[in-house]
Parts: sequence; C-alpha cells; structure tokens
Amino acid sequence: MAAPDQIQSNVEESIKGAEEACAEDPASGECVAAWDEVEELSAAASHARDKQKVSDPLETYCKDNPETDECRTYDN
Amino acid sequence: MAICTPLNSSTYSSIIPQQNHHDAAVSFARRACWRATSSHRPRRGFTVITCASSDAGTVVIGLAADSGCGAAEPPKGGNPDSNTLISDTTTVICLDDYHSLDRTGRKEKGVTALDPKANDFDLMYDQVKALKSGVAVEKPIYNHVTGLLDPAEVIKPPKILVIEGLHPMFDERVRKLLDFSIYLDISNEVKFAWKIQRDMAERGHSLESIKASIEARKPDFDAYIDPQKQYADAVIEVLPTTLIPDDNEGKVLRVRLIMKEGVKFFNPVYLFDEGSTISWIPCGRKLTCSYPGIKFTYGPDTYFGQEVSVLEMDGQFDRLDELIYVESHLSNLSTKFYGEVTQQMLKHADFPGSNNGTGLFQTIVGLKIRDLFEQLVASKAKSPVEAKA
Repeated sequence: MAAPDQIQSNVEESIKGAEEACAEDPASGECVAAWDEVEELSAAASHARDKQKVSDPLETYCKDNPETDECRTYDN
Repeated sequence: MAICTPLNSSTYSSIIPQQNHHDAAVSFARRACWRATSSHRPRRGFTVITCASSDAGTVVIGLAADSGCGAAEPPKGGNPDSNTLISDTTTVICLDDYHSLDRTGRKEKGVTALDPKANDFDLMYDQVKALKSGVAVEKPIYNHVTGLLDPAEVIKPPKILVIEGLHPMFDERVRKLLDFSIYLDISNEVKFAWKIQRDMAERGHSLESIKASIEARKPDFDAYIDPQKQYADAVIEVLPTTLIPDDNEGKVLRVRLIMKEGVKFFNPVYLFDEGSTISWIPCGRKLTCSYPGIKFTYGPDTYFGQEVSVLEMDGQFDRLDELIYVESHLSNLSTKFYGEVTQQMLKHADFPGSNNGTGLFQTIVGLKIRDLFEQLVASKAKSPVEAKA
C-alpha cells in the first residue's frame, strides 16, 4: 500500500533530485544532503502509510481493558 | 516538601500505540512509556492532583537511533504536528526538534540532519537541564511533513523524560544530564533489509535508490552517530541470524543486549550464573520450538575498553510458553511479578520485534528504567529535601 499521494510524489521528486545532484558530483554536500532528504521523506511516507491503516476500535479498547466483558476470551 | 499543582485529567493525553514498522527506536520509546507508567490512569472527569517532579527530580533517559521520530498521537486539541509523546509519568521528546537548520537550510548548506552543524546543542542542553530541574520549557517543533521549524510548544517537567533521536549522547553536557542511556545499533545488513521492506512499496524507489540513500548517509552516520555507542549504558545490537544460512531478509534476528557494569541503580540481566559464560538452547525435551529455534548466550566482555555483560538471543518466539520458559530462566529482570516480561510482550504483540530479541530486550530495558527510577526516588527520599520557596 502506497502512502498518500502528496507525500508519495514528494518522495519520488526527492529521489529524482538526489539522482541529479549526484550525477554532477557524487562527493558533494548537495548529493549527500539530497539523499538524506530522501531518507527523511521515505520515513514520513512510511509513517503516513501506517496511520492510514484502519484500526479496529474494539481491538484498541481491549488492549487497555482486557478484563471487561466484551474483551474476555475463552480458550475452551 | 513537594510542590503540588492540581491538574485536570484532560491535560493527560492517552497514548495510542502506533505501528511504525522498522522504527524500532520509536517502538522502544512507546514500550518505555507503557512500562514507565503506573497501571492506574486518571479516570476521565476527575481532577488529579499531581506533584511536580521537584520532589525527586526528573529522571532523564537518552535513546539513540538512526531513525526519525514517529508521528506521535498528539494530545487531544493539541498540535497535530507535535512530535512529543506524553503520558502520566513520561514525556518523550524527539531531538529533531532541536534542528537549527530546516530541510531547506540543510539543502542550501549541503549538510545532512546527522551533521552536528544542523543541530542546536546549546538549546538542547539548556532545555534538558531546565526540565531536569523542574522548570517548564518552550520547545521548538520540527515538522517532518513540511521540513520546517514550527512555533514552540510548552513542555512541562515530567517524572521521566526520554530524549530520543540521533544525538542524545553527542554533546558532553547533555550526556552528563542523562541518568541512563541506550543506543540502538542496527547492523548494515539488517538496516538494508528493513529499509527495503519499508520503501519498496513507495513509487520512485528502487533497490538502487535505497542503497544509494544508505551509502550517502553512511559517512556522516559513522562520524557523528555511531561513536555515541561507547557512552551508552545499554546497547541493543541487531544483527542477522546465525541460525539460517544466507538469510538476508532480516526477519529472523540475532540481538545482543550489551550492559555496562558499574552503572548506578542498574543491575544487568543474567542467565543462570552471573559473571560466567553460558550458551543455552532452551528447545529440547521440556520445550518444543519451531524452526529455526532459539539460542541464548550470556557472558562478560569488554566494549570500548569497558566491562560489560552481554546477553544475546538468536531466533524467534513462536508461542507463549516459549516466552514464559525463557523468562523463568533469566535473572535480575526487575520484574514486579513472575511473567511480567511475557505479559508486556503480549500486550504489544503487534509491535515489530515482539517475537524476537528486539522486543524482549526493549521490554527488559523498559523494566530496568522503571527500577532505576524507583531506586532514584527512594535514594532522594532518604536524603533531606530542601523546601522550595
């Protein structure tokens, strides 16, 4: 599942930018900073993706309150 | 005499554990939040009297890792772009908030976020010092989405302050403020495998771009971040497994918990016999494990010239009884009851690493921090406390 469109296109753009910056001079500060930006945006995209995942309200509630009636589980 | 201020329960935010795959540091910080809080949360609608931490002082924990801070669930009605996690006893600050250069600034100057030049260590020191002595601060916010520095937010001194990020142990003055420090050391192979898992779904990324990104950041990482591990009281080292030949997916892990000896209020965990060297495979007649099994080692060692004890787990847990079996054979866990480690790990079974050494050791370190906090409070209670005007 890909991240929301805006963040996703940011990642794509930053990768293109990094490849361009490094094509000129792979040892330059610009090249390194560009890839660092890619890393930062990729991490942000990953978090956004995780946020999108629908969380079940019952699961969340039962995590904190396993002893309540609706959350009790029986193994046999 | 402690200074107490009545605080409305609405100022407490509930932490909803977020799933941040591969941001192991973040998941640790959240485990630490859960571990450090007491089992009682203020009930809604009640006014809670809370004592400012000036009676025991704030305990400051440093957590170093090469990953951005997770997007926290902010306090209700609070800033949605805040990076700060707040629970009833613990506040986790993301050190990215102390960037002196925002994304554009770093681009212009050609520096990475890893470079000390992009971070304001003076401000970091001043604010951590203030919080530690019971003074609230106005901390800047680094917005990870926009890459800009947002207006400051007020942070009140908590009982436990965790500073998490790239440089918690970089500045010597900040280091001296830390009561305990942890360094999360992910090996290159595992880092690569995790980043592939994280980024391959992203349009624009390829194996080459992921590799290029890691390699471009490596010089700064090796120069500024990695050396911090020599100062850490505990290092969690994550390596590829030795149980599966040629495993490069990074799914089964070998995790080492390197614990410094002689740290005040910190007693390293041990297996069977403290100070001896042990190799242990729990799977056998009493316990059946599935492939590839579990292997433990424990022993004394030296790390950057310092005496340490190392507890290592290779493999993964498949079932509850494997977890409890292992827990029953470990000593000095600082648990309050038998099975507490297992219980905590089950509670966070959806966190990444909950079935291997990363989850196990993060859980144990969380308990150790709680123990350290309680010992510190007890020791300060014994010595005479000055009344604050």
